[in-house]
Order: sequence, then C-alpha cells, then structure tokens
Amino acid sequence: MTPEQITLVQSSFERLGPQLPAMAARFYQELFGRDPALRALFTTDLAEQQVRFAEKLTEIVRAMPRLDDLLAHTRALGARHSGYGVRAPDYQTVGEALLDALAAVLGDHFDAPTRQAWTLAYNLVAETMLEGAASARRIGT
Amino acid sequence: MLADVAITLQRWPIVGRRSELEAFEKALCSGEYAGLVIHGRPGVGKTRLADECRLQAAAAGHPTERVAGSRTTALLPLGAVVALLAGGLGRPGPDGQVDAVALFEQTRRALHERHHGRRLVTIADDVSLLDAASVALLGYLAAQETIFLIATVRTGEPVPDLVTGLWRDGRLERVDLGDLSRAHLDTLLHLALGGPIEAGAGREFWAVTRGNPLYVRELVLGALESGALVERSGVWHLEDRLPSTTRLQDLVEQRIGGLSAEARSVIELLALCQPLELGYLETAVPPGVLELLERAGLVAIAVADQEVRLAHPLHGEVVRAAMPRSRARAILLAQAGRLEAATPDPGPAALRIAVWRLDAGGRPDPAVLVRGAHLARYAHDFRVVRRLIEAVPGGQLDAAGALLLGEALYELGAFDASERVLASGQQLPSSEHVALRLAVTRAKNAQWGLCQPEAALAINAAARAVVTSPPLAEELVADEASILTFSGRPGRALAVLERIAGGDRRTRVVRAIAGAPALAMTGRTGDAVRVAEDGFTDHAALGDDLAIAHPAMHIVNQVFALTEAGRLADAERLARAGAEIAASDRVPIAQIFFAANLGRVATLQGRLATARRYYAEAAGLAQVHRFAGPRQLALSGLALAHAMLGDADGAGQALAERATGPAFGFRGPEQQLADAWTAIAARRPAEAAQRFRDAAAQAASTAHRTAESWLWHDLMRTSGQDTSARLRELADACDSPLISARARHAAGARARDARELAGAAADFEALGALLLAAEAAAGAAEAFSRAGDPRAATAALRRSSALAGACEGAATPGLVHGAAAVPLSGREREIVMLAAEGMTSKDIADRLFLSVRTVNNHLQHAYTKLGVSSRAGLAKALGSTS
Repeated sequence: MTPEQITLVQSSFERLGPQLPAMAARFYQELFGRDPALRALFTTDLAEQQVRFAEKLTEIVRAMPRLDDLLAHTRALGARHSGYGVRAPDYQTVGEALLDALAAVLGDHFDAPTRQAWTLAYNLVAETMLEGAASARRIGT
Repeated sequence: MLADVAITLQRWPIVGRRSELEAFEKALCSGEYAGLVIHGRPGVGKTRLADECRLQAAAAGHPTERVAGSRTTALLPLGAVVALLAGGLGRPGPDGQVDAVALFEQTRRALHERHHGRRLVTIADDVSLLDAASVALLGYLAAQETIFLIATVRTGEPVPDLVTGLWRDGRLERVDLGDLSRAHLDTLLHLALGGPIEAGAGREFWAVTRGNPLYVRELVLGALESGALVERSGVWHLEDRLPSTTRLQDLVEQRIGGLSAEARSVIELLALCQPLELGYLETAVPPGVLELLERAGLVAIAVADQEVRLAHPLHGEVVRAAMPRSRARAILLAQAGRLEAATPDPGPAALRIAVWRLDAGGRPDPAVLVRGAHLARYAHDFRVVRRLIEAVPGGQLDAAGALLLGEALYELGAFDASERVLASGQQLPSSEHVALRLAVTRAKNAQWGLCQPEAALAINAAARAVVTSPPLAEELVADEASILTFSGRPGRALAVLERIAGGDRRTRVVRAIAGAPALAMTGRTGDAVRVAEDGFTDHAALGDDLAIAHPAMHIVNQVFALTEAGRLADAERLARAGAEIAASDRVPIAQIFFAANLGRVATLQGRLATARRYYAEAAGLAQVHRFAGPRQLALSGLALAHAMLGDADGAGQALAERATGPAFGFRGPEQQLADAWTAIAARRPAEAAQRFRDAAAQAASTAHRTAESWLWHDLMRTSGQDTSARLRELADACDSPLISARARHAAGARARDARELAGAAADFEALGALLLAAEAAAGAAEAFSRAGDPRAATAALRRSSALAGACEGAATPGLVHGAAAVPLSGREREIVMLAAEGMTSKDIADRLFLSVRTVNNHLQHAYTKLGVSSRAGLAKALGSTS
C-alpha cells in the first residue's frame, strides 16, 4: 500500500462515524446473502457479533500505518477464526461483503481510489490473518 | 541498510497461497492422498510453497525430508534420493542382479522403523529432472504411505509416469500456481519491506515483474543491496529504475556477479554438490560469508538438518551454466575425495560420491555402476544402463553386466553392438540362469533387430545344449516356438510347443506370446483368443522381468486373433484401447503393432483410406524406432491399401520402400497380397494371379491357413478363377466365420448361384467386411440378371452400391464390373479393362498369353453385352458405371 492509500482507508472509515453499526449490520447481511452456510459459524447473538466486528475493525484500521501493530491484531484474530472453522476461500467472501457494505453506507464517497485502497488493505489483513490461522493450527495439532 | 530489513527477510513472506497450503494440510491429514503435486512456471513459487508445506508438516510433528532432481544427480539411478535410502543400497543376488523391488521394500521398512510408522513428508523438487529409478522409488514409497510426496513440476516439463499413475488413481492432490495478482503483489511488498511503499515504486514493480514471485524477490533483494530501494520516514522509495531485463536468468546472474570471490565459490560448490553439511561449510568458508549469503537470500540453512543448499534451483542452474568445465571438475573431485576420506564406509553416500565422479568425467567404483545399471534397467531407462555399463573398465565386466548392456543396446536399436556384447558375454563364466537370459536376449536381437531368424534358431539350439534344468530348458523351448512363429512357421511352432507341459508362469507367458498368433494363423482362432487372454493375466502376475516382451504384446496378439476370427468390431475396439495405453506408456513396438493391426482390420472392413492412414503411421513409427521387421509388415499393408484404392503409383512407392529393408518372415504370405494387388492396380493381372498362387502355396506349406484363405479368395475376386474347393477345405479346417464366408462367396461365384452370393454378401456384412459384402452383392446382381430376374438384380445392385459407398474410395475389379451389372465373364472383364486403358489387342494378347484372335473375340462379345461399338465407347461405358 502507499501511505496515501492508508490515509484514504482511515479517513473513509472516520466518515462512517455513527453509521458504523449500520455498516456492520449491512456486512452480515451481505455475507449471509453470499453464503448462507457461513451463518452456522456464528453461535453468539448477531447483534453482539456486530458490535464486536465494529470494534475489531476500528482497532485494525487504526493499526494500519504500523505493520507490527497490525500484525499483532490480525494474527491473533486469524488464529481465533481458524478455531471457528473459517478457511481461505471464506476470506474471499468476507472481503466482497465488506467492500459492498462500505459502498452501500458511504455511497458516493466510496469512489474508485477508495475502493482500491480498501481492497489492498483487506488483502493485507486477510493474508496475515490466514498466516496466524495456519500457525495456530500448527500449534494446536 | 540490509541489516535493517534482515529480520523480515529471514523468511520471505508467502502471499496468495493460503488455499494451496490448506489443500496440502487437508490432503496430509485425510489419509486418502499419497501426495501433492505443484505445477507452475519457473519462479512462480513452487519450491517456496513446497518448503512452506514442509515447515507446516514439521510443526505438526511429521518427520520431513527433501530431495531434488538435477542434471547431475540424474547421472546415477537413485543418486537424487540418497537421503531416503535408510536401508542401504541393497545387495546383489546370487545371479549378480540387484533386485530393485527388494531394495524398495527394504527402504520402506527402514524408513518406517526410523520414523516410528509416521509418514515422512518428502519434497521432490523438479521431479522431471529425477532419474527413472528415483521416480519409481518415490512412487513406491508414496503408494505404500511411507512418505507423503510433495512434488514440483515446471509447466511444460514432462510429468513422470509415477505422478500420472498416482494422479489417475486419485491419490494425488494437485495445485496449479500462477503469478500473483496486483493486490497480492502489493501485500507481498508490504510484508517483505515491513511498511508502505510509494505509489511510483509499486507501479514499477508490477510493470516489471507482472507478479512473478521469484522475480519480485530477486528484484527486491537486488535493489536493497544496490541501495536503489530505501526507507525514509517509514515509507519505501525507489531511487533508481529497476533493472529492465525480462529474463529471470539475467537477473540472477547480475546478483551473483556482484558477489565477492569467496561468496561466489560457496555458491558454485553448492550448485554442484548440494546439500552440504553445515559443519563442514563453517570450517571451510571464511567467517561471515555464509551469513552474508543467507541474508542476501541466496542460500538456505536448515538448522534442524544441519544442511545448506541454494535458496532456489534456478540459482544453481545459472551458476552451473556459467562455470568453466575444469573448475567444476576440480570441485567435484575434491568433494568426492573429501567425503570418501571422511566416511570409510559411506553406505548410501557412495552414490553421491559416484555421481560427483561421473559428473567430473572420472571413473567411479564399477560395483556402483553395475548396481546403478540394474536399477536403471528396472526403470526402463536404457540410455542410463548403457552409459553406466560402458563406463565400467574393459575386462571388469561379468556375464550379468554384459547381459544388461546387450539388452540396453537392443532396446536402443544398436543391434550389431548388442550381438557383439551378448556373444562375448556368453564366453564368460555365468550361472545357468544368466546363460539362459544371454541366449534368449541374443536370439531376440538376432530375430527382431538383425532380422536373421535362422541365426536366432541357431543361438537357441546352442543354448538348449547347455541349459538343461527343467524350467529354464522349457523356457528355451518356448522361445524356439516364438522364433518360429514370428518368422512365419506357425505349424512348426505349435508342434514345438507340444513338447512342454504346464511349465512355470514365466514359461507360460513366453509360450502364450508364441502360441496365440500361431494358433490364430493356423485357424484355431477361438483357442488363440483364450491363450492371449491367459497370457496377459499370467504376465501381469509375473511382474516385470528381463528378456520378456512387454505385456501389451498379449493384447496385440488378442487383436490379431479376434481379426482372424472375423470379430472385426471387437478387434478394432481392443486395438484402439491398447494403442492409447501403448502410447501413454511409451512402448513403441506395441504402438507399431496396434497401428498395423488397426490398418489390417480397416482393410478387411473395406475402409481403405483409414487403413492407409494407420499403416502409414505404423511404418513411420517402425522407421523411427528401428524395428525393421514390423516396418516390412506396415509397408506391405500400406501398398495393399493404396492398390485397393486404385493408386498404382502409391502402392509401387510403398513396395519400393519395403525393398530397402530385410525380408521379414512373420505373416510372409500375407505380405505378398501387397505385391499381387499392386500388379492388379497396375493392370498386370497375369502377374497378380501368379503372385496370389505362389503366396498361397507358401502359406499352405507353413500351415498359415488364414493367409492362404485370404490369398485364394483374392485371386477369385480379381480374376474370376475358381478357388472354391481349396477355400472350402480351409473353412472346414478353421473355426472362423470370415473364412467360411470366403468359401461361400467362391462357391456361389463358381455355380453362378445368385442366392449363395447374396448369402455370402450378408455373411460379410454381418462381420463388418463391407467391401467383400459389396463385391459379393455385385456378383449376386450379375447372377440374378443372368438368371432372368432383373428385379432381384436391381435390388442386389443397389445393396452393392450402398455398401461400396462406405468403402472410402475402394477401386477393386469386383466393384467395377459389378457396378456395371453386365454379365461379363472373368476373361472378358480382364480384356475389357486393358482395352479401356488404351492397350492394343496385340499388347493385350502378349500380356495375357493369348492369341490376338481370342482377344478380339472376347472384345466383340463384351461390346455386344455393353452395347458399344468402339474402344472409346468401352471406356465411357466403364467410366460412367464405375
């Protein structure tokens, strides 16, 4: 990513402001619409799940400029998700759902450069989460 | 600067390969799979992915190992997989042979014990460069679940049979790696550099590498080293253009070219002899050099195994290619000497020493060479057998070694050399077993290679005087029968086979190879099919062995027997299936025979253009693989197909080509169909008739009844001469409906019995012999018309035309006159054809040994029947109806 793209991810995320819960709700809607089977992976109350998602996303977006901080978050998060049975192909679905949820809530503000920046950011997050997931399974088995 | 990013670089990140890694994980745990194959272009990250899989497996508690193919290790069988030979190198048996199967099993047990029954996760990098024996061992261990194989294959390189075999059985997971996407490249750079990169630099990396991971890695490491890539306030900048080369090789060369002489010599050493022991390198190399190379991403140090190797196979290739031969030699010999001195009893490492000596052009221990040759023989790698045995110093080769070399020379088409080696091998002291095999192989070379069946019989007879123990002696008798069958003496072959009782399995297999075609040729086609089927079953149970034909030859025999039995559709189906297997298993002799048999079936079916194509293919293959005898068979078939299509020039050319080779006795009378039909196509009917008769007599003298029937029938078809009596006798002596239909056709023609001819046409049609059916129907039309039944004649004629329409342009006399539906006599037809060509009565008279008056009388009768008054009208009448 370029420094400008990191800034763009952060500023567009700030713009969500009070709409963050709505974006989180929209995310799960998009996700289960794409793959209803994923719903079974979530055992907790969906409302509570949306709150946790929003918190985690906030942490990650804040950590974006410093790779070490980011990795600390994403690796641990990936390890947890591995335990839930989430696998590499699911990350693709999650990424699409996230981008569409952002687009739905941000409207015209989610322009092409913003989408490109989020795509790269998500890819970085997903790759490092998957790495954390793999090491966790390694230790687990 | 380099030190700052060293922490990140110790393990170059892997990006965009998580699905593949999960596929590996799943395959390893499921127990259903024997391994994983990684396909992809150079530099796409196959080795990197394989290493990551290995790390994952190791972390999960699996033992792991790594072997790699290279041009150097391929010099000696199993040279690449020394690390796996936990049970040693195997000991030669009493007959001087190394039993590859026993060695594989011994290795399996030793690995099982060493790793307490856990699967050894084994990377085989660049399997296409492995020698055939190494591939066979890996396949064996993977199938037995002793190892879990991770094989890498470069796109476009041949995939070894083991891989395709396991793949076919559904026992391999496969991943195809492509270049990285733009987003993945971005993530890779981010993780490798530890922070964001300015936009221009990111674009430049994408533009130059297009996502090829090795290219990216080499460029990043090179740019860090040269100072082109620098970090300022947490952001990476490119201060200089990236090298613009589009060849990865150039890039690697540039990187290695910038090394110090000391560092470069370590790279060269590893390129030739990797992997090397870490302990040795630490003492041999000045301090700091290894660390520098590791930091630069050029060497990889496996701390657990205490081993050092180059980080990527491509680095080794580039360095080896640039190294002067003399320098490589010096390094290889020095390493061989070092390892020998360090380990007085090197065990499997003896193979590494031998590989290095071979690569240096030196002379390794002859025992190692002979052992290697046995293993290469097991893997059908005859080039390697030849190279290894020829490296054994003169005078040190024993009878078993001579046998190996002689067989390899035969397989490689060096027949004269094979004869010399095997003949001198017979002079050396040997066990009865080796003596038998020397004799059988030498006879095979004499018959199939040199095309000297009498010499083969003499070799066989001499051996029978020496080899007398029951099962071995019986095999020689079966071999004598084989020589007789394949030199065209089926009757004698069957008489010889009577001399052996049950025999052991090996003898039964040799007996089936000789017996099935002999039975078919003498007309016992049902027995022939059965014997061929049993032979294949026995052969499969026998496993691979020296001096026996390939198991596919039983299927070839079965195809031949089915054809003789008139089961043309069955024969065609089986031959097609067999041809596919022979092609994928690369057994040229079987490919040739399948193609020739497909041509033969098509000929009998009347699909002559198809027949021509198959025969041409068989002839081409036989030419390439130097099977002179089968080439004669194929060219005979080719001439026959051309001639029956009316192409006298094409037929003549095929015969001229055939004349450049030695005569081949197998199905000799049948081969003469080509000569006779070429004479027909060239309008030399008298010569054709004589050739049919001579060949039929020859077939009779060797009990080749099916050919005799074909020849007499074709004489009848082309000249109208009566051959029905002999055809009847042959039909009674054989069990084939095809031969019975021929007899019926001839009998019907002799009696001008329209119903019998129509019956023969129906018989032929039921067998799928459409050209013969068309001709018989044409004959029926003529007979009906003669008998004053024009309606039946018209119907039969229509049937004939319809059948002839399926015959791909067949132009046989039986069709030409039949289609005219005019009751010309055989003689009249013969004369009319020549006259229509423009020959004068005098010329026709000379050609047919008749008087000019007789010719003119016949012509006059024909004019009347055809309703024409001149030669020009004759040509027109024939032309419009043919």
